[in-house]
Amino acid sequence: MISEEKLHILVNGAKFDVSCSSSGSKRKNGGGIGNGFAEGCCHSFTPDGRCVSLLKILMSNDCIYHCKYCVNRADADVPRATATPEEICELVMAFYKRNYIEGLFLSSAVCRTPDYTMEQLLRTVKLLRTEYKFFGYIHVKGIPYADGALVRETARYADRMSYNIELPSEQSLKLLAPQKTRESLLAPMRSLALQSSQFKAEKRKGHFLPAGQTTQLIVGASPEPDGQILRLTQALYRKNGLKRVYYSSYVPVVHDALLPDRPAGELREHRLYQADWLLRFYGFTAEEIVNDDGNLSYDLDPKCAWALNHMQYFPVEVNRAPLETLLRVPGIGARSAYKIMQARRFGALTFEDLGKMHVVLKRARHFITANGKFYGANETAVRGLLTAGERNDGAVQLNLFSDAETAHSALTGEL
Amino acid sequence: MIYFYDGSKESFLTAFVLSYGDGDATLTSRDCQLSLGQETVFVKADPARAAKAEARLNAIDSHCMRDLDLLLRSGEKQRDGVLLRYFRCLAAYGRPVRDMYQVDAAREADRALRKIGTEIHRMKGFVRFMECASGALYAPVSPDNDICDLLLPHFRGRLGSIPFVIHDVSRRKAAVFDGEHSFVAPLGGAEIVLSADEENWRDLWKRYYASVNIPSRERLKQMRGYMPVRYWRFMPEKR
Repeated sequence: MISEEKLHILVNGAKFDVSCSSSGSKRKNGGGIGNGFAEGCCHSFTPDGRCVSLLKILMSNDCIYHCKYCVNRADADVPRATATPEEICELVMAFYKRNYIEGLFLSSAVCRTPDYTMEQLLRTVKLLRTEYKFFGYIHVKGIPYADGALVRETARYADRMSYNIELPSEQSLKLLAPQKTRESLLAPMRSLALQSSQFKAEKRKGHFLPAGQTTQLIVGASPEPDGQILRLTQALYRKNGLKRVYYSSYVPVVHDALLPDRPAGELREHRLYQADWLLRFYGFTAEEIVNDDGNLSYDLDPKCAWALNHMQYFPVEVNRAPLETLLRVPGIGARSAYKIMQARRFGALTFEDLGKMHVVLKRARHFITANGKFYGANETAVRGLLTAGERNDGAVQLNLFSDAETAHSALTGEL
Repeated sequence: MIYFYDGSKESFLTAFVLSYGDGDATLTSRDCQLSLGQETVFVKADPARAAKAEARLNAIDSHCMRDLDLLLRSGEKQRDGVLLRYFRCLAAYGRPVRDMYQVDAAREADRALRKIGTEIHRMKGFVRFMECASGALYAPVSPDNDICDLLLPHFRGRLGSIPFVIHDVSRRKAAVFDGEHSFVAPLGGAEIVLSADEENWRDLWKRYYASVNIPSRERLKQMRGYMPVRYWRFMPEKR
């Protein structure tokens, strides 16, 4: 049994990874313990409001890299620990049986060499699948620069793999994670996507990443604007077929001259997630939702901000508008749009009906008519009404180097 | 007129037929306060009548018996009223009313069903097993709705051949898988002898739960929203 102290060290190093979803895999129980649960399942929630679905743990936190933002970087003065594959397998089986977790999220610091680290990860998942007969969800982190053959074999055992891009531009990577390059992260991602589609096309037996790939970006550790982050996200969804891009608002756990000492703020992360949803489920493009200054507006959610800039499309009649138009109305989400589409087949909907159906009208009423009636405010008043109740904790001290170009040269000293 | 029925499917269908022409019928399976001079009927399940009603309702909406089965499990006070109005609505329209969100009766039923569905999904995550000395798993639960047997297929699928018991302590019944068959049985108390390692794994889990939290981002309201306090009773990490 792994010791409590070791568990604490290895979990502490892994906890800042935001990805925790366990959805997308329908793996069957092949005569042991565990199966995939395609909807995903949260087993607990921690006081920071995040769910505990997978056992999030590092194989080792003994790193040879010097990424500035990372708690486990080589020159950090933290206790080090390395778990054996057996310790991890035992832990997963015991926790899974008791229904504490939905599976394993296995990551690691780059220990000795990338290949050695990837080998350890592979050994663990292979052991878990073949010896311990575990068929639950496994998410494995890809190690940049690791050999392609190792990665490919790992993908045969895992449900999901992810390479964390961490910083949205090559420039920032060079500065804050000097041993990683954009290519070292994107190339394996592309190659996995290609192999996965080949595997599907050949209809071979077994599995190859049934739950696909994801990645994570740190927001606010480097000066890229939201627009750049969202364009990157969009490209990842379109070209690499990623399932999710996670955003982690920067928390200053490490102090370094090159890093900001203020946290990026949860509002920015929240807005990025809202925008991410618009890209994936609402038919928006990154170019549409970003403001002229390259950022999202913080006093309004991105859909509201878009609608206010495009008042020529509104109001729309809820009884006639097609689904894609309904989805663009602020305040109407996928579920409400579905309910409206279903219910209106039986008779015209009025504002009262919408209210009873729990469609949120606080924002929507300014952008729709129901059965020909309009209950919104006039165009000039809408912006004021909508921003009035919104959170506004984004107030910050003005910074000499607050725009993106000057910020980089301020950090590097280059002009 | 007040119609008392025993909470079973057959007795509900019988009561539904009996009360059909009665405009101010109230259906109930629980204790209720009678007003002065109110007439009461104690409905006895009539299999023939119930079967006929079931066939006719099935012809209207082939999924309505699944709805009935789920709604009868609801722990809500208004359950019987919701049921009566929903099935009357079904009979009146003569077609599935599930998506008619503008009709009160259909919307109420949808909401009640959704609540039960949500709890089933939640319980799949919140059930906590403890390992007994025999190797079997035991989980006490106390859900709002009577759903412990609906969790059986889910856990059978993942636990393989390990026998397990999900014990609804407030309804004094248990969903059991004995290694070969699964069934529901009445169960008052249970004496559990824990396996040697159980306490250690539990402590390790508590340690994990404490370690994975980020203290600087406290959001207690959100945590309680996703995981209401009433479920904490049987979760080792919250005790």
